[in-house]
Amino acid sequence: MTAGVLDISLWRLCLALVFSLLAGGCSLALKLGLGRDIAIGTVRTFAQLFLMGWVLGLVFAVDSPWLVLALFLVMAGAAAHTARGRIHEKAVGFAWPMYASMACVYLVVTITVTGAIVHAEPWWKPQYFLPIGGMVLGNSMNSVAVALDRLFSDLRARAAVVEMQLCLGADAAEASADVVRTAIRAGMIPSINSMMAVGLVSIPGMMTGQILGGSDPSQAIRYQIVVMLMIVGATALGSTVLTLVIRRRCFAPGDRPLLR
Amino acid sequence: MSHLALARVGFAHPKAPGTSGAGRAILDQADLDVPRGAFVLLTGPSGAGKSTLLRLFCRLEEPQTGQVLLDGQDVAALAPAQLRRRVSYLQQTPTVIPGSVRANLLLPFSFKAAHGQTPPDDTALATLLDSLAAGDIPLSQEASTLSVGQRQRLCLARALLTRPEVLLLDEPTSALDPESAQAVLRAAESFCLDQGGTVILVSHAEFAPARVTPAPYVLCGGTLCRAGAA
Repeated sequence: MTAGVLDISLWRLCLALVFSLLAGGCSLALKLGLGRDIAIGTVRTFAQLFLMGWVLGLVFAVDSPWLVLALFLVMAGAAAHTARGRIHEKAVGFAWPMYASMACVYLVVTITVTGAIVHAEPWWKPQYFLPIGGMVLGNSMNSVAVALDRLFSDLRARAAVVEMQLCLGADAAEASADVVRTAIRAGMIPSINSMMAVGLVSIPGMMTGQILGGSDPSQAIRYQIVVMLMIVGATALGSTVLTLVIRRRCFAPGDRPLLR
Repeated sequence: MSHLALARVGFAHPKAPGTSGAGRAILDQADLDVPRGAFVLLTGPSGAGKSTLLRLFCRLEEPQTGQVLLDGQDVAALAPAQLRRRVSYLQQTPTVIPGSVRANLLLPFSFKAAHGQTPPDDTALATLLDSLAAGDIPLSQEASTLSVGQRQRLCLARALLTRPEVLLLDEPTSALDPESAQAVLRAAESFCLDQGGTVILVSHAEFAPARVTPAPYVLCGGTLCRAGAA
């Protein structure tokens, strides 16, 4: 796969810093106040990707399913932590159910793709499992954050309607059904929209990587189609499962709403 | 036996996250016995916790101490949906869902708790609205276009359709003109006298029912006492 890739030497890699300097120059000239962020972002990009390259090299060399799964769970934890940080609801505890649900849901999706569609042998082969799992997590993390943020904000904004339905004999699931539907929809829409634009606006990341690596474009598009559908499925499943699991935590025993 | 009762109930609103000290106390060791078919008029200053007291009866709030009882049974032991069909709480701000007046009136029949119940037909709905001086509202009208007063009567009609044992009315006439307010009070009286239901009505306004003699209670400073008692 790497036979067709043109190597980038270290000094030419450093040449890419020109673009960071360009961005920093703009910030200085226009007094944007972004110089520090650009510098930190550049350092982090180098550090995090070199670290990831080292870890992936190690995992590929060891070739153990347990190590692959452990790394996947660390990635899932980081995704959940990032999504958690975007939601500012304090009245409902949802961190651990969120971590557990994200890890389970996205593990199932990734295993389905590597085992049943790509036919990687074995299904946990790290060269397939980790990049695909990373794409599932990276894209779904945003949808989960959007869905849960919408769930919490709508349960507060529509508290009177939820309560009115409870007073008429609805249970918590019935009283919050509309809110849940809106939240799941909000989580799913970005990935559906990206399906509409794929191949028209840009060549997607995985396809770009494969083409740069020398793959036949006809194979590259097949992988990209799998990735797009996988992301839509993962965001749908992730948004639905997490919204339903965490909706239960928005009501105290006796179907008493906690958000109002 | 009491129909509704409070037994040594204590309740304080939880303190806001990040603040110190105890929450605001609403009830302190409160006792109350409401016989079946009684008509209780609850008054008290703004912020005393009158609405909170109503919410305790239908378990939208949970007491920190003591018990809230329905027919001698702790409401916490009842299935919430079944409890709220028996004890119907009408919010102070009338709330409707998007859709027609008819859709709003039939909303309670879409829930699992109403399984097996036959929804009323249009004639029955129109008759009910008429009894609340709201007979001029077409069933097909979009509920969100109604005035606050019309919404209040729609919400009362919807609550009555669930055939509750207890009606908890939170300032039900605050947004109504005198004629509509009288219609609502007549419906509450009829629920009490003709159907044997129990009514607890919170009101700031001067209130003079025609057919019942309310049991007046005052909630103030965490204490619930019979008005006029020493």
